[in-house]
Amino acid sequence: MAQGRKGKLNYRCPRCLMREIDMDMLYDRDKDEYYCLRCSFTGNEQEVLRLNAQFRDKYRDRLKRITDF
Amino acid sequence: MSAFYVTIIHRPEMVPEYIQKGAEEGKQEDLTRSTVIQESLDIFRTQQRVAHENGLRTTIQMTYASLFNQEAVAIAKEHHEKYGDEIGSTFLGLQCQPFRDKFKSKELAIWLFAMEDKRKIVDEVIGKFYEVFGFYPTSTGSYYMDAELVNYIKEKYPMIKAAVATCWEEGPKAYWNANNSWYTLLDGGPWNPWIPSKRNIHCPASDEQDDIGIVAIPHLSRDLLAVFDGPGSYYGTHPQNILRGMVYEDREIPYFKNIVDQYRSMVKYNRGYAYNMMFVGPGWMSKTGRWEAAYDFLLKSYKEGMAYYGQLKKEGKAQDVTMSEFADIYRKDRPYTRPECTLWKDILYGSRRQQFWYADPWMRFCLDMNQGGAMIDLRPYAAKLVRPCGVGTTCNQDASYPFLVQSLYRAGYFTHYAGEGAVKSCKFGHQGEQVDLCACRTLASFSEEDDTRIVTLDPVDIEFAGFTISVQSVFRLTEGTGDIEIVRKILSTTDPEAEVTIDEYITACYGTTEYPEDLTGVKLSVKGASGTEAIEYAYKCRETEISGVTLAEALVPQVDTRLTMRTDTDEASGYFREGFAFSPMYTLGIKKTIKGKGELRTWLKVERAN
Repeated sequence: MAQGRKGKLNYRCPRCLMREIDMDMLYDRDKDEYYCLRCSFTGNEQEVLRLNAQFRDKYRDRLKRITDF
Repeated sequence: MSAFYVTIIHRPEMVPEYIQKGAEEGKQEDLTRSTVIQESLDIFRTQQRVAHENGLRTTIQMTYASLFNQEAVAIAKEHHEKYGDEIGSTFLGLQCQPFRDKFKSKELAIWLFAMEDKRKIVDEVIGKFYEVFGFYPTSTGSYYMDAELVNYIKEKYPMIKAAVATCWEEGPKAYWNANNSWYTLLDGGPWNPWIPSKRNIHCPASDEQDDIGIVAIPHLSRDLLAVFDGPGSYYGTHPQNILRGMVYEDREIPYFKNIVDQYRSMVKYNRGYAYNMMFVGPGWMSKTGRWEAAYDFLLKSYKEGMAYYGQLKKEGKAQDVTMSEFADIYRKDRPYTRPECTLWKDILYGSRRQQFWYADPWMRFCLDMNQGGAMIDLRPYAAKLVRPCGVGTTCNQDASYPFLVQSLYRAGYFTHYAGEGAVKSCKFGHQGEQVDLCACRTLASFSEEDDTRIVTLDPVDIEFAGFTISVQSVFRLTEGTGDIEIVRKILSTTDPEAEVTIDEYITACYGTTEYPEDLTGVKLSVKGASGTEAIEYAYKCRETEISGVTLAEALVPQVDTRLTMRTDTDEASGYFREGFAFSPMYTLGIKKTIKGKGELRTWLKVERAN
């Protein structure tokens, strides 16, 4: 197995992020996948981005400019 | 005061704590490496340039390490002359070779050193500052500045009048968020500037004798709802924190402006005064990016944040002030008893949820309108607990101010099948049916009558078998009393003959984390027409109720706090309830039975026990 390294961007584990834990992932060049030392997540960049988008869904007002207070 | 004040702080860190680790990966540790230092200075220059381009002055907090760097010192002097920026000091960024040579430690948190070392470090940092600039700083800071530390600073360097002193609700949640490796356990302070007590930095001072001598500023202005149930480092006036929380889409971040505007709206609650601070450490603008965000996005978010403050300034809607200037302004028109409060609304999750936050020298508390106005956080500031932190103290890393109620750490209304959670609420009962206001979601409005702040909740309907009542809650907070007056009114009923019992209660404990503490020795008592009943807590599940209640009381020696409830009617009964090991709580309550319409008025108070 290859040595885990930092990826081109320093992605956090999207599964740990769902429970609000910022956990840096390591990248396996041979398999082109990220993996988490904590929760056993594995996935390529596309999968990480898909789950990150899902994480943002809870912020229903993330695109709303609110000025009425 | 009548304005929105903004303080922008930058610090030149030679080896930012966040980029240090990444920069050193696979290399031998070398804190003087020129590439790291140069990158950090570039970031500092960029931050300063962006602020000045937007017409904003800054407070430059010189780190100890930067005092050894001629370029950093020269920039600070130049910007002080040219733009009127304040040159202050900070206890962040201590680590550098001279520090290691002198103190033989890799510790980065000033509040976690032993007291003897804190004194030496203060003298070294401030002394070095004087040596470099020829004057003493008037502002300082860190993520946390304990009272013992600030008392020493004031004794030796009385000219210091402002400090960044806490990060709001950065406690166990921040610790979890950082994979249990970030030791800023600092829950329990105010969210906006305050004058701290000499006894405990979290508590607003009661009077001149108690005044520690600085104006404290929280590190960032945080989202009061999102941060109560989430990581502080996702939601605040720190653009890169917002990127960390991923509160954006297609690189658009309206959330930053929404936070700023909600803070601006606090003029409604605080006699025309509102405040924001923005303080982005250089590590958050690393050229190598920060987590998912590449450098250009980090920079974009910073520029946009600063541009918004600049725009507000140009429109006459904001005043940029340095830390020391702000301290002078804050003290001008501020009685010690004046509370800080706000009816915060959700700007993130689309829920319409509101929470009312309140802090004064007696207490800090939060009411949650999603739970019928239930009190979900209560900190007994009146106790002014002397609670030193750092090596050699019993608290060590745990610098939080204890709570009596924290509904997220200690369950609140919802528990898993057994026992009770910490919350203050009210139950309405009729012939075996009981409804807790925690289950009655509503909204609230804020008003004032002279020195009384009033939170009035929209009425809620409670349905019993066969009839319905409409109930309204009102919280009245009269400045200088330390009392919370709570009125529960039955406004209408569909059966005027039906009797309803109003049961005002508080279920509490104490602690600073989610884990239970030992309640042994807590004294519960209730006084009424027939005398006084009292017990010492021993997890025996005992309960006592007395008619004609005059006072229900819990003495919690572990946090030197006396918690009481009283009422203005002799038609009510009072009770206490001891918990058991699977439900480590104590409950005080006052009950009254009403036929048709009516009300129960009670007062809750926290005081120092001794």
